[in-house]
Amino acid sequence: MEIAVQEPAEGSRPLPSATRGIVRTLVRDLGAVAVIFAISMLANAVLNRLSARPLALIYQSPEQRLSAELSRLVDTPPIYPSEVPTIELAEFRKQVDNASALILDARSASFYEQGHVPGAVNLARDDFAHDYQSLKDRLDASRDKPVVVYCTGGSCRDSRLVAAALISLGFSDVKVFVGGWDEWTQAALPIQGQKK
Amino acid sequence: MSDYLKTHWRQAICVLLGAIFVYAGSAKIENPQAMADSIAAFGIIPIVLINPVALGLPAFEIASGVLLIIGWRRRIAALAILLAVVAYTIAIGSALARGITVDCGCFGFGPPTRARMWIDFGRDVVILGAAAFSYCSLVRKTAVSTQPRN
Repeated sequence: MEIAVQEPAEGSRPLPSATRGIVRTLVRDLGAVAVIFAISMLANAVLNRLSARPLALIYQSPEQRLSAELSRLVDTPPIYPSEVPTIELAEFRKQVDNASALILDARSASFYEQGHVPGAVNLARDDFAHDYQSLKDRLDASRDKPVVVYCTGGSCRDSRLVAAALISLGFSDVKVFVGGWDEWTQAALPIQGQKK
Repeated sequence: MSDYLKTHWRQAICVLLGAIFVYAGSAKIENPQAMADSIAAFGIIPIVLINPVALGLPAFEIASGVLLIIGWRRRIAALAILLAVVAYTIAIGSALARGITVDCGCFGFGPPTRARMWIDFGRDVVILGAAAFSYCSLVRKTAVSTQPRN
């Protein structure tokens, strides 16, 4: 039930006790917000522990996670090349049209399923070891053939990481299409799958 | 604006804000790794805090949103959302100022672009205004209702 009380008369000086009351309210509210956050974090941490792929306590960068994925495939720690060769849209399109290279989509499976470059197969950076083993026969057949990796484009690093991982696994001709999915779709080129 | 109108405006804004945050939290809660990557990309909080925050934020948004909608502890929920939006606005604003392109992960995850970041920033400023109005209005209501009668 609300207790209606008259506002102070216009022009009157604010009471110090009113200000103190607002500060007290704010401090109490901040404490309650901290409690809500702590409970939320604990509840989600419990759910996270029960999930199939729980989040680690300490953050690992995509590079660190890819290294961990790679360590499931090879015994010795892989050596990443400092630079990966890149290609532009015109050359990439020619390779797609002629099917002269194995095209790999390094984005996560959910993005791949929404739409991808025709003929591309999904070797997601965030599920590298699993995807690599699923595609092992096809990938092994392309060890000495041209392989082109793309991801979203722009500042996306997944294609470079996957390309570097492949080179470290012994693939001899791996390139990155830097324009990625964004440049491909902006050029209104054909796509496979359902683009939303 | 009359008290009647103000009360109804406040309630409408609270329910709308609550719905936005329940949706935003739900869109992120199933992918804590992507959330952690989004937070890390901003480069403004220590590494040891990234995963705890990635786990806490979506559930915090849902909890605050639900409290705002149902009206229980609404003032506290309004402050929770106000603080969250202040943090998001500062994070996106600083990323824009530093020239880095990141996915804010506000309503799910996708490819980051500068245009999208400006849209996210503008939307956060609007939500910030609404959250500030809601909280200040609720604090004033509390202050008035607890003031002793003369």
